Formats: sequence, structure tokens, C-alpha cells
Amino acid sequence: MSGPGIPARSEQSHGYRTLTLWCPDWPVMAWRRLHPARADGPVAIVERADRGLVVRSASAEARAEGVRPGLRRREAEARCPGLVVAEADLAGEAVAFEAVARAIEEITPRLELRRPGRLAFPTRGPSRYFGGDRSLAVAVLDAVTATGIPNARAGVADGGFASWLAARRADPGGVCVIEPGTTTEFVAEWPVAALGDPELARLLVRLGLRTLGAFAELSEGAVLARFGPPGVRALRRARGLDDTAPVLTVPPPELAETHEFDPPADRVDVVAFTAKAMADRLLDALADRGLACTRVVIEAETEHDERLARCWRHEGALTPLALATRVHWQLEGWLAHGPFSSETSSSEHGPDDRVTGDWVTGGLTVLRLVPDEVTPATGRQLGFWGGDAAATERAARTLVRVQAMLGPDAVVRAVATGGRTPDERIRWLPWGERDLADEDPAPWPGRVPGPAPARVHVPPLPAALLDADGQAIVVSGRGTASAAPASLRSAAATGAITAFAGPWPHDLRWWDRLTRRRRALWQVVVDDDRGAVACLVSVESGNARVDAVYD
Amino acid sequence: MVLAGERLLAVTGALGELLPGGGIPRGAVVAVTGAAGVTTTGLSLAAAATTAGEWAVAVDDGTLGGLAALESGIVPDRFAVVRRVPPARWATVVAALLDGVSCVLAAPPGALRHGDARRLVARVRERDAVLIVSGAWPVEAALRVTVEGTEWSGPGSDGSGWLEGAARTVRVDGRAAHGATGRIAS
Repeated sequence: MSGPGIPARSEQSHGYRTLTLWCPDWPVMAWRRLHPARADGPVAIVERADRGLVVRSASAEARAEGVRPGLRRREAEARCPGLVVAEADLAGEAVAFEAVARAIEEITPRLELRRPGRLAFPTRGPSRYFGGDRSLAVAVLDAVTATGIPNARAGVADGGFASWLAARRADPGGVCVIEPGTTTEFVAEWPVAALGDPELARLLVRLGLRTLGAFAELSEGAVLARFGPPGVRALRRARGLDDTAPVLTVPPPELAETHEFDPPADRVDVVAFTAKAMADRLLDALADRGLACTRVVIEAETEHDERLARCWRHEGALTPLALATRVHWQLEGWLAHGPFSSETSSSEHGPDDRVTGDWVTGGLTVLRLVPDEVTPATGRQLGFWGGDAAATERAARTLVRVQAMLGPDAVVRAVATGGRTPDERIRWLPWGERDLADEDPAPWPGRVPGPAPARVHVPPLPAALLDADGQAIVVSGRGTASAAPASLRSAAATGAITAFAGPWPHDLRWWDRLTRRRRALWQVVVDDDRGAVACLVSVESGNARVDAVYD
Repeated sequence: MVLAGERLLAVTGALGELLPGGGIPRGAVVAVTGAAGVTTTGLSLAAAATTAGEWAVAVDDGTLGGLAALESGIVPDRFAVVRRVPPARWATVVAALLDGVSCVLAAPPGALRHGDARRLVARVRERDAVLIVSGAWPVEAALRVTVEGTEWSGPGSDGSGWLEGAARTVRVDGRAAHGATGRIAS
């Protein structure tokens, strides 16, 4: 792809030599920094999800016992007795990583942050200064250890992706340098899952391609035809080549989004809310010009004329949600200490626990988002499964806007999960949240059979399930009903029951005296004045309820 | 830009056969009313958008059965639900959604003003989207689907068996539909 203004790219060009710094399990590391007594031992950081507290990150010791991200807290504690559980502290993680970024800034100003725990930079200048890649990497690790983070890893290789794999190959606290020219062989031995795209990896495995080397042997034309430009980028990465899309001329400065805060803003949530709208406008403006943004510089000025700037890079093009998330991380890092803290910053830590050196002494007066690297937007392109990527992008932006109108919990998507009853078998995940659990909804014994009801009432509607004599149906401890149901009275349907199936006894958590629930379910067809209405009815502790309506 | 051949969102199955052209015309409002079965019918219509590779969003009061949505043929990767919409903002939210997705499935609040409804009709036409409303729709709709009755099969007379399937009688009215009626089995 070449044309005026677009530099031609050699087919076999490797990326420039890059160092990736990786601190695995960053939430755990950030927490341990504030609790040095717990420097080893199993630790899990949990966050609130719709199912309760769910593991977000686990220490190596915890993972050895089977604790994984996505597990519920109780399951994690069951797998690992003695597990220390702490709630996620987004502000603390961002502050800790800002400290790391500042330490590395002493070595080189050209940092690119990926996410808290991972950053990269080109090594050319610093490597010469330190006398070689290995010495540079050691200096970087020393700087990180000095901020109180142990066991970080550094990888140096040709190109961002290869250096990321090198960082993963390195030992904890160690360095892995892939000599120039050996990158392709190094990358080839990794499994396809290393690309970071689970859908693509699953497909490649089904095609019989398990390693990046095997994937790399496919022809670029075939990959382009099947997967489009994202597939070709993945192919180039698998070959150890430069995977950054061709860079156009420096984006014109008028594309930067600037917002002035008057009076100066000192709360992270206030600034983050504005930043979300700015991110939307910025990416819309770029999209109108047919551009997508892969790297952004977040700049801020305070009322005391301090200037802050940080560069963030994203895999592929930034979406409004991804951009707003990164701005939020950065704001937490800048603002979440000193006199101005967000609500979530840990209040139980005394001032001695905080990082030394205040970075901002006043509120923010200006926030600026500058697109630093833009690429041609891929436009209307089919996703892997025939979806329309542009339609998904547009829909995502709209849903984010509606979330801004109504609150993040107001926009949800449905994820099938395991369970017996219709309400148990679906999880509603707020839009934008990752689905951490990889639950395979295999059939459960005791599952309610038949088609799924279109209306599920949580909490269930009160009802009266009566037998032919007008008496309420009760269910014995053995699960036998006192009589056959003859009529139902409820807000959903009222009338004589013309057909029924059940009772089906459910004995939930029979091993736990406190949370044991015994109930019986029926499917009933009611002759309501509107016609035949089918409902799912349950009787528990003498109370009848309509759980769902087959509308 | 939509090609002439793509003016319809094709609906599969017996329901599609009742619809003129076998699908829902883009830029149209479809009103689904009747007794039991309105939600399931609405979901089957909305599924047409997701199978075409586009997005459908349901605006709901929180009782929508997610599993039923998935079983109706809706592709979960291109479906979302918006809940907790105050009735006063319903029209604004639906209008905002029509900007970004191809199909919105929603139940209008009782107090919906005619002016708001007409504005939504105009927006649907301008965006080439589809709005499926379940319940009373005060202004014109290109297609009106009425669920007239349902017969369930499965349960025996003594509580044995389970609900296996519903046969619904559905009538379609509209400019090109002429009151076509059929039985849709599921």
C-alpha cells in the first residue's frame, strides 16, 4: 500500500529494536507495594462484578493452587486455603505505575504505555548510552526495583510484539535479549495464542496451525482474503516483522481535543467524565477523515503551571472506550494522591505509605488529547465471522453514549452461563466489561426443559397456585405436591390451568443449612382472558410465585 | 449506502413467509401486539438484523429473558439490552440508539406523545433502520403483526412431560401484506 505521503515499507523490514518492560500480575504488585509484609504468599485481587466478587489478578503462588482470573471469590478461597484477598484499587495501580513510568523516564523520554504493568520504548539511543541492550535492560530493572516493584521483566527484540514475547520469556527479575536477526526463529516457536486474539487463535488451531511459525508460512494474499488487514498484521507479527500499520504524516495539530477546566478540576471522576466526551469527539473527527488512532499523548496542565504528558499505545486502533479508559488510568496516576484523591484511593494507608514526591500541587486547568500516531481506518471490513466491523464500531459508540445518559449498568449484554432455571442461565454483563469467566454452559442436571421463556421476573411475581378446591398447593419435603394445580392467580396470568408439567423439586445447596433452598417448579398453561399463557411457577416455603412467562 | 437488494432484512422461518418479501423493509416501524407471544415474536424479528451482520438493541424494563433472546436466533455478539430507562426519556434513548444500530426493539410507555412517535418514525426512515415496538403504537406503522392465539404442546394431563413447543397464530397487516395469517410453530 503506497501513495503520496505514505512511505513505502519494505516487505521484510523488522521493527526497530524495542524494550518491553512487563510487571506481571500488576494489580497484585501494586497492592504488595503498599503491603510489603505480604511480598510472597498467595494473594488474589478481586473486583466487583455482577456475580459478586470475582478474581481479577492472582499472585504466582495463588495461581499454582489453581486460582485464576474470573473465579468467584469463594471458589478461589476454596482452591487455595490461606489466600489473602484484597479489593482492586484502580487508583493505587495507576499511581504505582506512574511511579514506574517516571523512573524509566530518567532513562529515556520516549515511553509508550500499554496498560498499567506494561510499557515499551525504542532502544537505539539509550542502548548506546548504556553500552548494549543487556546493560540497558538491567538498568531499567534496577530503576523499577527502586520504586518498590520486584520481579519485573524486560525483553529486548526487533519490534514491539517480539520484545513483548521476550519479556514473557524472561525470568522474574531477569532480562531476555533476542539478538538482531534471530527474531523470526524466536517468534516462530510460540503458540498462536500468543498473538493475543483468542478468536483467531481458536480458528488457527482448528485449521491445524498451532505455532506462530506454522501460521507464518501462510501466504499474505490468502490471509488478507480471509481475515482482512487485521489478519495480515497478525501474520507479520508471527513472522517477526514490523506490525505497525503504515504511518501517515504527522496528524495536523487541530485534531487534538482540548478542554479547559474553570475552576481547576481536582476530582478524577469529574475529569474522567469530560475525557470520555473528548475521546468520543476526537475519534469521530479522525473517523471523518478516514483515520484511526493507535497512539495518543495525554497532556495536562495544572493551575500552578505544571505540565504533564504521557504517551499510550493500543493494540490496533483505539476505540472510544479504550481511549477513555486510558485517560482514566492516567488521571488516576496523576491526581490520585496529594490533596486530591478519587473516592477509591485507599484511605486506610497512612501518609507514610504513599509514594514520595507529589506530582501535582493543584487542580487541572487543561486536559488535552493529542493523536500521536494515526493510520488509515480500515473502513467497512468483515470481521472473522462475517460481522461488519464498521457497524460494530458505530454500535459501540452509540451504546457508550447511552451509558453516559443512563449509567453504566443500564446497557448490558447477555452471556450464557451454567444453571438450572432461566434466570440462572444468563449473566448480564455491563457494556464495556470484559467477560473474564470462560464458562462453558454445558447442560446441568435438573435444568428446566423446553424453550426459554421470553419474560423472566427477578424478583418473581407473587402468585397463588390453587388446586381444584381452591386450596393453595403445598409441597412436601420429599417434593410431592398436595394436589394437581388447577388455577393460577397472578399479575402475569389468571385463570384455570389447562395443562401442567411438574412438580420438579429443586434442592439447592443442601449441604449448607443457612443457604439451603427447597422449592418445586411447574410449567403451567393458563387460560387467561387474553388466551393461553404459559408460565413457570415455583412454590417455596408455602409461597407460590411466577418466575417466568413464556411470552 | 444500501444496495437495492438489501432493502429488506430477511426473516427466516414461518414468520418470514408471512411477511411481504420475506422480511422487514428498512426504514420501517413494525408494531407487534396481541396476547401472549409478543416478546418472542419481537425477538424473532430483531434476529433478522443480527444475522445480516448488523446490530440489534432491545430497550427493556429488565424482564427480558436473555436465554430466549439467544434461542430466537439473535447473535449474542451483536445484541445489547438497555434497561432502566425512565419513561420520560424513552423517546430520546430510542432516537439515540437508532443513530448507531440497525434495529431497536422496544415497548413504548403508555404516555408516549404522538409528536415523539412521529419524530421516531421520521428518524427510522432517515437512518434506514428498523424499529420494532411491542404494544400500543399511536401513529402509523409500516407493518402490524398481531399474535392472535397460542397453543402449547407437551405437558400431559397428569403433570408428565414438559412444555415442548408453541403454535402461534399470527396475522400480518401492512401496505403489502393484506392480512396474511399463518401458524408459526416453535
